[in-house]
Amino acid sequence: MQDNGHSPYTPIPMHVLHAYYESTDHSLKTVELSFDHAADSQAFFEAFNPGQFCLLSVAGKGESALGVASAAWEGNFVRFTAQKMGSVTTALHGLKAGDAIGMRGPLGNGFPLQDWKGKNLVIIGGGCAFSTLYALTKHIHHESHRDDYGKLTLVYGTRTSGLCMYKHDIAAWHENEDMEIHQAIDVPEDDWLHHVGYVPDVVRQVAPSPVNAVAVVCGPPIMTKFTLPALVELGFAPENIFTSLEKRMKCGIGKCGRCNLGPKYICKDGPVFSLAELNALPADL
Amino acid sequence: MNLILEKHALPDLLQSWRGNYDVYLPQKMERFSHFMPLTDNSVLVTHEPHNTRISPKALFLPMTEALVKFTRFGGYEDAQQVIQPRIIFAIRPCDAQAVQLLDTSFIQEAYTDPLWLERREKTITVGLGCHEPCQTGFCTTVGYGPFNKADLDVLLTDMGDAYLVETLSKAGEDCFQGLPCASDEFVEQALIVQRNAHDQMPVAFETENLKEKLEQNFNSDYWETVSQSCLGCGVCTFLCPTCFCFDIVDETQRRERVRNWDTCMFRTYSLEASGHNPRPSKVERTRQRLSHKFVYWLDQVNQIGCTGCGRCVRYCPVGLDIRAMLRQAQTLPFEVSHAG
Repeated sequence: MQDNGHSPYTPIPMHVLHAYYESTDHSLKTVELSFDHAADSQAFFEAFNPGQFCLLSVAGKGESALGVASAAWEGNFVRFTAQKMGSVTTALHGLKAGDAIGMRGPLGNGFPLQDWKGKNLVIIGGGCAFSTLYALTKHIHHESHRDDYGKLTLVYGTRTSGLCMYKHDIAAWHENEDMEIHQAIDVPEDDWLHHVGYVPDVVRQVAPSPVNAVAVVCGPPIMTKFTLPALVELGFAPENIFTSLEKRMKCGIGKCGRCNLGPKYICKDGPVFSLAELNALPADL
Repeated sequence: MNLILEKHALPDLLQSWRGNYDVYLPQKMERFSHFMPLTDNSVLVTHEPHNTRISPKALFLPMTEALVKFTRFGGYEDAQQVIQPRIIFAIRPCDAQAVQLLDTSFIQEAYTDPLWLERREKTITVGLGCHEPCQTGFCTTVGYGPFNKADLDVLLTDMGDAYLVETLSKAGEDCFQGLPCASDEFVEQALIVQRNAHDQMPVAFETENLKEKLEQNFNSDYWETVSQSCLGCGVCTFLCPTCFCFDIVDETQRRERVRNWDTCMFRTYSLEASGHNPRPSKVERTRQRLSHKFVYWLDQVNQIGCTGCGRCVRYCPVGLDIRAMLRQAQTLPFEVSHAG
């Protein structure tokens, strides 16, 4: 998190560079934010790791925790995709280029990329929770990082094709030879060339090899609940299965007590946990 | 250093501190006592057979305070709080211990709460031991005691017409400068008072293996049983000296972002935007409250997160008694292998 001499509860000033709808039904909107102060930008990127999140702040509405959906190499901005749910995300949906907004972060641990070096990665996402996995894929995809990892397999499911996020990049990735992509939708649609079915079933069908591999799962709770056992069945050890958790949050820095899972705080000790870690914690999700 | 303070000299001493400090002490408020600033007309309340209704954690983590100010053009700045040096007089050992426990959450290497830290640094605590321990308290059961010295700059022992003043820090010593030294005999008598108080307190419940029992029975019917009569009013957490959860809300008209005490006993505490709630009923919420204090605090800092102040027992509107709940927990099955 930024250390700019301010209270850790005080957001840093940002401005909206771009704001656009991510899904055809307009339920998902992406915003790209630029830093008002160079020092804040520097502090952010020194600390940033894919898998981390920020609290976006709209004065008078409150704060909302959102995963970072951009990689550091993309440029001097931070991307988020928000589903319109409550008052803060509704306000976020009303933002346009040039609007001011506050941000706190990066928060949380992010993905343990150092430990994953040299391994094959199986990235499994569902719905709008794919945002941090998108950041992860973009990070790894960069030429200076790509050689650090082995084979890349991506499984991404959404309810409908219209809800699929980051369509241009994903379309481009299909052309990419060093990446295996499996897209899925829940119910059949005309002209859909990929899988039809729920993510856990697609994972079983694709059956990625657990040899020298780690799997990372981000999706709605129901998808995660059924995908983790599918990976165990395929032979992935609990230490090599990762997921990113969410709970209601306020402070984001382990003080307000809200997002605890047993003795751990999802905001401070997570949001990324291995299945081995989760198995040792109470099922209080 | 051991000194004697005659009780008739106390009012003048308290007033003399006002020049340099804000002085907070328990005073009468309606039917209860409450820590309030010393004024010319303050009447100190120390004769109640229990501590104040609201714990003095409120002096470090106010029930409500601004964290952030909204500026004119969509910006943010730190809310400024004026925090004067202060003395908290007659804080009970359980409450002082609780503040020290809360330090482990608010003062951390990665993130320190600046307002908590400033208040801590500017506070001198003068503790008043409990020579007549209260009926609902169980400090000795959870490993502390009626004359526990943790986090105190001074510990007072009520000896009838006078206090034994035991200074525990330089700052504490400075506040009681000029008092006569206590004789060895007086100190000896005070130790007897302290020991008697300690010995009067029964063991409220066994703590051995309590953590393992609560942990291993996470899905037990026990939680349903012990939460049945709970109304979900949250008073147990509101008055608890070690409960620290807070909410952050925007007060639009004041153009401020404010934190307010919150409680895990409310449904909305963990309710998510999607409608999902990890703790949908009082069963899960009671489990969270007890597990936090008797399991998670131990995992985090190896200390029980309860100092036995007894407020939750005294003020529960339906008479739920955490001591009885934990005695019942002690009858739950558990496997020893986990403890090793």
